[in-house]
Parts: sequence; structure tokens; C-alpha cells
Amino acid sequence: MFERTKDLRLSVIKQMELRASKFPDVISLAQGVPSFDTPSGIKRRVELALRNGVVSKYSLSPGLSELRELIEVKLAEDNMFYDFEKEIIVTAGSIEGITATLLAITNSGDEIIIPEPTYTSYREVIILCGCTPVFVGLNEEKDWSFELEKFEKAITPKTKAIFYCNPNNPTGTIYSKEQLLGLAELAKKHNLFLISDEVYKDFTFARKEKIFSLAEIPEIRKRVIRLFSFSKSYAMTGYRVGYLHSDESIVAEILKVHDCLVTCAPVISQYAAMGALEMAEKDVIFFNGEYLKRRDLVCARLDKLKHIFSYVKPESAYYVFPKIIKKDFDFGSLDAPESFSFRFAFWLLEKAQVAVVPGVAFGPSGEDHIRISFGRTEHDINRAFDRMEKIFK
Amino acid sequence: MTKIVLAIHRPTIVAISGSSNKTFIRDEIRKILEEKGKTVRANPKNFNTEIGLPLAILNIKSGYNSYRAWLPIIFQAFFAIFQKNFPEYLVLELGVSQKGDMKHLLSIVRPKISIISEINQRYVESFSGMDNLFLEYQYLARCTRKDSGALILNYDNARVRKLSKKTHARVEFFGKTNASGIFQIKRIEKEEKGQKFWLKHNNKIQEFFMPSFGEHNVYASVAGKVFENVI
Ligand SMILES: Cc1ncc(COP(=O)(O)O)c(C=O)c1O
Repeated sequence: MFERTKDLRLSVIKQMELRASKFPDVISLAQGVPSFDTPSGIKRRVELALRNGVVSKYSLSPGLSELRELIEVKLAEDNMFYDFEKEIIVTAGSIEGITATLLAITNSGDEIIIPEPTYTSYREVIILCGCTPVFVGLNEEKDWSFELEKFEKAITPKTKAIFYCNPNNPTGTIYSKEQLLGLAELAKKHNLFLISDEVYKDFTFARKEKIFSLAEIPEIRKRVIRLFSFSKSYAMTGYRVGYLHSDESIVAEILKVHDCLVTCAPVISQYAAMGALEMAEKDVIFFNGEYLKRRDLVCARLDKLKHIFSYVKPESAYYVFPKIIKKDFDFGSLDAPESFSFRFAFWLLEKAQVAVVPGVAFGPSGEDHIRISFGRTEHDINRAFDRMEKIFK
Repeated sequence: MTKIVLAIHRPTIVAISGSSNKTFIRDEIRKILEEKGKTVRANPKNFNTEIGLPLAILNIKSGYNSYRAWLPIIFQAFFAIFQKNFPEYLVLELGVSQKGDMKHLLSIVRPKISIISEINQRYVESFSGMDNLFLEYQYLARCTRKDSGALILNYDNARVRKLSKKTHARVEFFGKTNASGIFQIKRIEKEEKGQKFWLKHNNKIQEFFMPSFGEHNVYASVAGKVFENVI
């Protein structure tokens, strides 16, 4: 019974949220949700679509042509050339795109390499597909970059893909172009797919240059599947809409799975996505500025807790992943799992009523860390750190 | 307001219309004009609805955006009349989603050159059938200037082809169909880094390469070449 699901876990982040909800005055820095409401221009685009009566029917399986056209134009601005008719699919959030991609490209028993710590759901989707996640640790000393030799060592005849997140959740770090090109060489040499989850690519704070993507290199377009989501960039997590793109030979296969899973992305949300691409550029710039302020605030507050935490300054996304360097806490009698980061997180919740995510949830190298989300307002961030300072006195 | 601005500055108006491929053609035309050193203004993104068009002409960002209210826009519009560097060309996507849309749009602008690539089922939902939709484009064909104006049409689409009968302006065709006198796409080949295509016109065949993929991009590029030929 339940062969397929027995090894799946509900996300630790959601478990933390559930646990936190039992405390009356909790401040949650656990969930990776933007504090903002969806920009009003997007909402009005949705209202217009509703009024025009164009949202009640299915769209084509890959999505509304108008939206895919806009996506093609947007991608071309970023030096990525994909045919909206055959190479772009609008998905129900990027997680559906990830699931459809993995189901399409793998056979059960395949291995998928994931650099970690990384987004918790990758492991679950890989297991759901009957495949094995193979973790390759990132190097915290080198700002959470990856070491290609480690990848090469992890590759076996069963390896099908390397699946990474850039910018990375939970570390907020960005892989350099050189690193990614090295990964591409490896993929060519061993005939692997590269799955690039870029849902945080719009939040790069003060950094001027754009984040490089392997999807920009035409020679490897038959290997690279790139995913994006409207959830984070446009504060639209509830709309469930994102997209993926790759060479038509791959997208044709992913489309079959996408059709089985959802028929098409919610049409009303596809209109919202059009609104986002048509007129929310300014909002993204505004959000980016706010996250920069929050990043600086969180870092300043962490600097005051140097005896407890060390951290790599995030360059992107809205997470920081501090390492807990003080080890001799008296946790008392907590019913936490046998992991230090779990016990720390549970203890912090009980003592300070501040919810964070235990680092081990993001992979073995995440142990001894916690993830703090600064998707929340500056007010909440300050209150949470005031409480932490009190208990760490 | 928009009409006054147009009357004062008298830019050459290029209209891009049809059920699909407007955005790609618009970008192509803009690129061509800019390469020729002309000053151009095109409507932003796909925002070509009723409110979008006047704002595009006035070069004002839409009040849809949450950080701008409508009031300042009205003031901006007032100052737009005095814009010093008003462009020589306006490249505008004219989208129709309801009956009467084209009439409304053409009450604001009078195109010198109109390019229509497709008329298909895409927006047909809000029309009581293809014939009504056709009437919208027919109106554009009729209103395109006949003195030195031109209508550039996709020969492959039977409905678009039929528009040639509804205009007083000069007509140029492009497409894959083997017909005499048209700009004919002979072959498209997908390669690793993009696509190649061969274009035949007046018994001369030329080869082109582009870094993007998909037939619609070839059509957009060819529409641009016809446009270059016309101006
Ligand atoms: C790295 C990463 N990828 C994908 C997702 C899924 O987002 P969605 O399904 O809303 O697009 C998340 C959400 O937290 C994420 O952090």
C-alpha cells in the first residue's frame, strides 16, 4: 500500500508553520512568501478579463497564445530564444512544471543530482517519480558555490539530470557564469539534462548585471529546461502560475504530462500573468528595493548576534541561511527529532515565539543552520530579532 | 488630447494588426526604422487596448500601474502637446477584442502603412463569428492612406488575402504560397543556433539567418523586409 507515497514527507516548512500556529503571538520568518499584495495593475487586468467573460473555459494546454508570446518577447530581452508555439509551457506554479519535467525525462530508478542545501520539495518530487535524489554539498566557505569534482564523482550510469536552483533557496546565493559553464561541460560529457529553477532571478538587490542562465546558450538548448514562476517576482503565490521552456523536442514530451496533471494552468491566473508582464515592471523594481532594505536590516541584526550565528551575505532571493556556531544550548526536554537544527528551531519557537526553518530540511549540509525569510515586513523582522536578542543575552 | 498631439506633430503611423504575431512584427519594424536613424515610438509590450493606444502616442505610462495614479497622467498628457522630440514614426499594434474596436482606434490614428499577418479563431469568442471579425480588419484596410500608403498582407491566410480587395492603397504580399509577385518564403531550416530561411522576390533568392526560433519569427522578419521595400 502507498508504495509511491510512503517515503514522501510534507514539507518541513509547512510543519513548522503548523507548529507555530499553536503559539498565540508567534512571528514567522519561516515561510517563503512575499509580504506584499499582488500589484493593483495585475488585479485590474484580472477584473477586466472576468468582465469580458474570457476566463471560464480551458485554454490550450500549453497556455494562452497571447501570454506565451509575451513570454517569448521577455525571454528574448534576456538573450534566450524560444518559440512560443512549441517551446514554452505555462504551468500551474513552477512546482507543477518541475513535476511534469521530471516525470517526462526520467525512468524510475534514475538518479537526479541536486546541489544542497536547496529547496525542500525537489527531494519529494524526485521520490514521487520513483527516482533517487543524490545530494552534493555546496561549499559554505566559498559562499555556497559548487565544486565540480564533487558532481563528477556523484555521476553514475543511472544519473539523468542535475537539478539546481539559481539564485539558491535557502542560501540566497548566485552561481557564477563560470561555474554554470563548468556544469554544462559536465552535462555534455555525461549526457545529462540540466534543470534550472530560476524563480528568484528578479531579486538581485543592488547588483547591476543580470543573472546568467544556461538557457542562453543555444548549443545546449536540448539539455536545459528552465523554470520561472510569477509567485515570487510579482507577489502572486496564490495564483499558481509559472512557465518553463526548452527545446521543442523536450517540451513536446513535458506537455503530455502537463496535460495529464492540470489540462492547462488556471486561465484567470494566466490573465494575471499577462498583466504582470505587461505592466508590473515597476512593481518588481519596488519589491527589489524593499527586499534590499530588509536584507540589510537582517544582516545588521545578525551582526549583533555574532556569538550565535555566522552567515554568508545573501545576494538574492529573500532568505539568509545563518550557521549556528554556539552549540551549548540547554534545550531542556524537547520532543524534537535528533537533529541539532530541528531542536534549535523548536526551542526558538518555544522560548521566543519566532518561527524559522531548521536547516537540515534543505539537505544534509544544511544541518547546524536555520533559514530566515525576510519576505516579512521590517517591523516583523525587528520584533523577531528583539526577541532573539533577549534570549541570547 | 491625443488627436491634438497627432495633428501638431504629424508622425508617420505604421499599424500592425491581426489575430497574432503583432508584437514580433512591431519589434521588427521598430528595429528597421531605428537602424535607418529614424526616431520611433512603439506601443509598450502588448498593451494595446483602448486606454493603451492614446497613452502610447503620448508616451505616458499607464495608470494601471499601482504606483501612479490617473491624475498626474492627465497633467502629463497636457504637457505632451509641447514635447520637443516627438518621433517621426509611431509603430502601433492595433488589437481588436470587441466589435467597433477598430473604428474607435482609427478615430484616433490614421495609418500610412498597415501590416496584417493573421486572422484566425483566436479572439473570436467576443465576436459573433469570423465575418464580424473580418469587418474590423476590412475597416483598417479601407482607412489605410492611399496616397503613398501601403497595405502589407500575409498571402497564406485566405482572409487576410481577401483584404487586398478592400483597400485603395498599394498592396504587397508575403508568405509561403507559390504566387507571383509576392515576397515568398521558400524554405525554413532549424539549426542549433537559430533558423535560416530563403526569401524569393522578383526572381531573386536571398538567404537569411536569425537567432530566434519558430515560424512566426520568420514571418515577422519577412514582413519587415517588405516594409523596408515599401518605404
Ligand atoms: C526554489 C523554489 N522553486 C519553486 C518554488 C515553487 O513555487 P511556485 O510553485 O509557487 O512557483 C519555490 C517556492 O517556495 C521555491 O522556493
